[in-house]
Amino acid sequence: MNASRRFLIGLAAVAGVTLAWEIAGRTHLVEPLLLPPPSEIVTTAIDLARDGYRGTALWQHLALSLARALGAFAAATLVGVPLGLAMGAAPGFGAVLDPFVQFLRPLPKLALIPLVILWFGIGETSKVLLIFISAALSIIVGTAAAVSTVQRQRIRAGRALGAHGLALFRYVILPHILPELFVTLRLSFGIGWTTLIAAEMIASDAGIGWMVVNAGSYLRTDVVMLGIVILGGTGYALDLALVGLQRWAAPWSGRA
Amino acid sequence: MTTSPLIVLENVEKRFEDRRARRETIALDGLSLGVGEGEFVCLLGPSGCGKSTVLDLLAGFEHPTRGRVTIDGKPVGRPSPDRGIVFQEATLFPWLSVIDNITFASRLAGRPASEYRPRAQELIEMMGLRGFEHYAVYELSGGMRQRAAIARAWISQPLLLLMDEPFGALDAQTRLAMQELLLAAREQRRSTVLFVTHDIEEALFLSDRIAVMSGRPGRIVEEIIVPYPRPRAYQEIVAMPSFGELKRSILATLREQAARPQHATTGSLPHGDDLRSYPRSH
Ligand SMILES: Nc1ncnc2c1ncn2[C@@H]1O[C@H](COP(=O)(O)OP(=O)(O)OP(=O)(O)O)[C@@H](O)[C@H]1O
Ligand SMILES: [Mg+2]
Repeated sequence: MNASRRFLIGLAAVAGVTLAWEIAGRTHLVEPLLLPPPSEIVTTAIDLARDGYRGTALWQHLALSLARALGAFAAATLVGVPLGLAMGAAPGFGAVLDPFVQFLRPLPKLALIPLVILWFGIGETSKVLLIFISAALSIIVGTAAAVSTVQRQRIRAGRALGAHGLALFRYVILPHILPELFVTLRLSFGIGWTTLIAAEMIASDAGIGWMVVNAGSYLRTDVVMLGIVILGGTGYALDLALVGLQRWAAPWSGRA
Repeated sequence: MTTSPLIVLENVEKRFEDRRARRETIALDGLSLGVGEGEFVCLLGPSGCGKSTVLDLLAGFEHPTRGRVTIDGKPVGRPSPDRGIVFQEATLFPWLSVIDNITFASRLAGRPASEYRPRAQELIEMMGLRGFEHYAVYELSGGMRQRAAIARAWISQPLLLLMDEPFGALDAQTRLAMQELLLAAREQRRSTVLFVTHDIEEALFLSDRIAVMSGRPGRIVEEIIVPYPRPRAYQEIVAMPSFGELKRSILATLREQAARPQHATTGSLPHGDDLRSYPRSH
């Protein structure tokens, strides 16, 4: 199935579900307080865009969340990729770090919140750190695993052409794992983005994650729904951006 | 006058151990072979007898578990572009274009573009890849990939070529063209070639000497001097009466070796050991 056809089918499915949802709300098939129809969410969006939510403009909530998530994700990439590469390339180093990484990675990051608050307070550091930890751990594991998939013949070809040590790493291993690295980054970004809500539950007063939690306690389900749509849509858009980056940086992905 | 050969394999044994599976494979045992400077030797033998392993030892990817492997009197060092290796499988780098693959070793060694560009262009012409310089590897056919891999090994102008069934993936016409090309290129550079093939006619057409290997564990069971003068023309050689005779005799040796029970592995543990730890069902 070609790409534009897939896109059209996807679009039709979204339109269908939105329409059914709207009808269910208007005919009171579903209680609008529990599940506000799309039209109400649009109205809420317009209101919030104009007046802000609890003293902060809607775009500022979004910008703050994006800054936290993207900042943490960038740091996680800068730290996680080299660490994962080193773990994959140097088995001894990998053996040292592996138990710690594997212990922390599956841990629900919510469990870390009390400690993080205790150590770093309730400021930005704690929030960014929480997203950073979850993304970095999964980047480390994915990168190290990717390094171990380099075929022996490919390494041999590199060595036979004079690539040894760092050159082998830079010109053979790194490009070899690039496609897989992008898969890892996409998965890790997803994990980091889901941690955002947890991070913004730490004594926050702004951010889309905070907005959802806060609106929930006032039964503003329309704001909750709007927040969910924004979180999901932004996550989706950022994933698409990563896919685009992969197509540009590793066009041979899946074809070699 | 006898000078010592460029390549010497003396009483070589190569074992592969797999500790986890508790087994080991003896790929080569008591293999001795010499290849003189400028000589073209073909290795023939049943599948799995250790032909690629011989090339791996000479390339420096593997080391013998016993015996001696020397090139020019010295033990084989780490792999280097001065031994041009063409692998059995396609090993082009998919993230590089055809031209970047071919010039990989030159660029890595920091050679000036003015030196390797013309040579790369010449190789591209030679290999029939003109117009495909900037194609990605996944846009090439299997045979084109193999030709690009040969160009990549040849750009460093190695004096020793180690080729592992390089033309196996090509159609008959392209293969013949590549064989003639290889002979012409070698004539010019007087390079030494060790060439693995399973095609007896190819071996007779190309080489000065054919070394036939036994079934695993591999060693040399027969060496045949190929009597044809160079330069050779394919049609003339296949028409010679001795061609058919040599082919029949080599085929008989190969058949015999392939039929011999191949020694697969020597289990370092008897099977009973594994059975004892196996849970009983009743
Ligand atoms: N790295 C390795 N680890 C374990 N066993 C190996 C390894 N490399 C080769 N072998 C074994 O050594 C034997 C010889 O293998 P080799 O690849 O040299 O055969 P070959 O003669 O090139 O066969 P073919 O004609 O099919 O290419 C085989 O039994 C193979 O299983
Ligand atoms: Mg082989």
